[in-house]
Amino acid sequence: MEHKLLTEHYHRKSYSTLEGYKERGGYQTLRHALLKKPQEIVEEVKLSGLRGRGGAGFPTGVKWSFLPNNKEDRYLLCNADEGEPGTFKDRMIMEKAPHQLIEAMLISAYAIQAKKSYIYIRGEYQKAYLLLLKALEEARIEGLIGKNILDSSFSHEMDIYLGAGAYICGEETGMISSLEGKKGQPKLKPPFPAVQGYLGKPTIVNNVETLVAVIPIVKQGAKAYRQIGTERSPGTKIFSLSGDVLNPGNYELPLGYSLMDLIYDLGGGMRAGHSLKAVIPGGSSVPILTAKEAERTRLDYESLNELGTFLGSGGVIVLDDSRDMMDILSIILDFYHHESCGQCTPCREGTGWLSKLLKKVCKGMSSQRDWILIQKIAENMQGRTICALSDAAAMPAISFMKKFRNEFEQCLYENTNSSVKGVKESKHA
Amino acid sequence: MPKKKISCQINGHSIQVEEGSTIIQAFKKLNQRICHYCWHPGLSVSGVCRLCMVEIEGQGKLQIACNTQVQEGMKVSNQSEKVKTAVRWGLEYHLINHPLDCPICDQAGECELQDQYMEFGSYDSSMSERKVKKRKVLDLGSKIVLDTERCILCTRCVRFTDEVTKTHELGIFNRGDRSEIGCFEDKPLNNNYAINTVDICPVGALTSKHFRFKQRVWYLKTAQSICTGCSTACNTYVDYNEEGIWRVRPRFNKEVNGHWMCDKGRFLFQDMDRKKRLHMALEANDKFWNFLETKVAFEKIKTLLENKTAHFVLTGQYTNEEYEILLKHFSNSVFYIWSQEGQFPKFDKLLLREDRNPNTKTLKKLFPKIKPLTKLEKNKNEIPLLFVLGPENLIFYPDLEEKTKLFSQVKSLVWLGLVKNKFLVCKENFFQIPMKSSFEKTGTFTNYKGLEQKIDKIQSFNSQAVSVEDIIKLLKTDNFKLKEDRAYFKQNQFLNSNQKIW
Repeated sequence: MEHKLLTEHYHRKSYSTLEGYKERGGYQTLRHALLKKPQEIVEEVKLSGLRGRGGAGFPTGVKWSFLPNNKEDRYLLCNADEGEPGTFKDRMIMEKAPHQLIEAMLISAYAIQAKKSYIYIRGEYQKAYLLLLKALEEARIEGLIGKNILDSSFSHEMDIYLGAGAYICGEETGMISSLEGKKGQPKLKPPFPAVQGYLGKPTIVNNVETLVAVIPIVKQGAKAYRQIGTERSPGTKIFSLSGDVLNPGNYELPLGYSLMDLIYDLGGGMRAGHSLKAVIPGGSSVPILTAKEAERTRLDYESLNELGTFLGSGGVIVLDDSRDMMDILSIILDFYHHESCGQCTPCREGTGWLSKLLKKVCKGMSSQRDWILIQKIAENMQGRTICALSDAAAMPAISFMKKFRNEFEQCLYENTNSSVKGVKESKHA
Repeated sequence: MPKKKISCQINGHSIQVEEGSTIIQAFKKLNQRICHYCWHPGLSVSGVCRLCMVEIEGQGKLQIACNTQVQEGMKVSNQSEKVKTAVRWGLEYHLINHPLDCPICDQAGECELQDQYMEFGSYDSSMSERKVKKRKVLDLGSKIVLDTERCILCTRCVRFTDEVTKTHELGIFNRGDRSEIGCFEDKPLNNNYAINTVDICPVGALTSKHFRFKQRVWYLKTAQSICTGCSTACNTYVDYNEEGIWRVRPRFNKEVNGHWMCDKGRFLFQDMDRKKRLHMALEANDKFWNFLETKVAFEKIKTLLENKTAHFVLTGQYTNEEYEILLKHFSNSVFYIWSQEGQFPKFDKLLLREDRNPNTKTLKKLFPKIKPLTKLEKNKNEIPLLFVLGPENLIFYPDLEEKTKLFSQVKSLVWLGLVKNKFLVCKENFFQIPMKSSFEKTGTFTNYKGLEQKIDKIQSFNSQAVSVEDIIKLLKTDNFKLKEDRAYFKQNQFLNSNQKIW
């Protein structure tokens, strides 16, 4: 069963307006939070065990406490550049409940004592952008943004920035670069953004869903929040189910939910006559799970780590037996080749090389040697770069090669029986 | 307050470094080899080449040495198999889309890709796919050409224009393996420090037009020298062979110029070109300048000088020793200074100073009563013989024509210069004597802040050229012989400039 902690009222059309949101208890938590001390909220979030929902899963409260303990200007950035293939949860939040995000940001900004925050939204999210613009205007008129919010001493300004379509700007330092008006390239760490981020000032970057999850934590307390989910992965998470299922969509589930239940109970299972072949559990950059592995896994950080993969952004991509895995991998690697910022050499050259190799495989022109080579290239791209895009390209490459060797071998030059000059027919050649 | 010292171990060697220094600095201090492209001591850290991988004891993941600070007691190594594999693969990634056109590349022989491949790589490439094609000849301005295929995107040049010159001409266009360095069409890379980007380019992507396709670097010899283009006196390397000097590069000196030098200074050697230089002494009659040997010319000058007081016009382009010996032998003479005060823009806050002479400091110190040229104008009729110790770098004397006209009004004149002064009037008892350039003599220059720097003779390019010391010997002694150097000019001095020598 779904556990609707964040998405409870999302079926109501009026929830995207200020009035509709207020009717359902909107901005009450903010009022409540402003009465507390900022440090109390940080502690509460720390206690709740909330982990970043953008992909890396870093504990949010801990991240907030990295901020230097002084009166220096600091920024809160909301990462709404949701670019991970297979993920569309933030889009739903922003389209269904823009005020929920604004409220969550105000609470978080109050907790870290930021006077200014930005929402960096993906360039393609035009609808969400317009809705958020409208919501910001409404909130400003209502006095929820500006000086002395709700008659407290807390003042805050919020702005929204539309990205230009680069995947890499979803990486926190890449986003900061882009926001600063520079080329969207991740920055070297250390220094970490919490110490030296946007414009050289301490900055906290949080995903949309992470921020929104702060509302129930502040509202009901960390203890109540920890009741949901598992011991080490508390709370709920919105999973974007896509691919070969009958009912794709966003599902808010307590962490630790069974993957099979998500696919079969909520997702309605495969099309008739097809069976499950593989699942990518957390957006295209995490290692793939075979049907057999998927059967026994649960959707939380630890269970997936045990299988060598990650919860990631929660984009569950289901693949049935009609899919050619080499084609899928080729598409994935093409994406990372296209999106690599080109800064670090292993990623810049490696993603291009992998993509070329996979095209060769799909054309049926590869040899046995390539099976090792693809893995070697990918292995040496891992952990060698400034950001994780290189790893994001390497992990699927390695896992696809290891888990679907038989499909790779079917594509070998000597095994393709195509009549057209030995070239296998491919959808994505 | 001096910074706290901390100790660490690099490849088993103990070393003490200042707190806050990075691992790569410790490696460099110990002279331990470490592979790197994007890191440059004069620029900020960008950490993009990912080759300076090191293993730190207690940390599973390899770290880049350029962005990791040394901690007390840290044990760092780049000798393990894990690091070597990482570096080898790092090089492979660098080379897969590199055109490997070393045979036609100017950088060959001093290319860091070549060096590091020989040292850390030495494998057969696993790449059999098609390489990414990019633009081969991209004109970046009047001085520099870019080959985008050879570029490994280390961004040293971009950081140079951002951080050192702050002119921001260069940037990276596009992304991924389609990335290219470039500049906007209306803002070419023409600043006065542009060629430094060629020096710091670890590969043959940026090449300077004046050196491109001229010489193979392994046929060139390198000497150390000092730039004479302004009173900063940047330290330089001079690359030369018996045909002449081919380029001048900056030599690191923390006290003077850091890692850089300006392009104005870099191009000074072009006045050494044999087509431009004065090969022999010249004596004027009513219509022509006639060639004659320097020694013969000085015999004539000697008779002119007999028992008369010589007047000297001095420029700040001679060495301390030359001024000293001049003062010693001609202490009763009258000296004038030919200065270009106010003719050039003020110090550009980097290296190039207003005073475009290397040694004005000593000149003013040794000749405290030196007169300005306006005095010369007043008593020009009373001067029996005027020696003009002309400038070596004529481009820094824009008033050459005007001042030459002034000098031409005296009775007899000896012009000492590197190149022929075409503004000098043909008049009896007028001489032009070839001087030695700063590359051909030994001495010291005192720069703007009083730092004395020595230059050494690199090679003689003209056996007829003289230094001030030679002049004094020629004038004061009877049987002084110019040293017969095996100079390039001697064999070819009367060659028609259209004639090619192979």
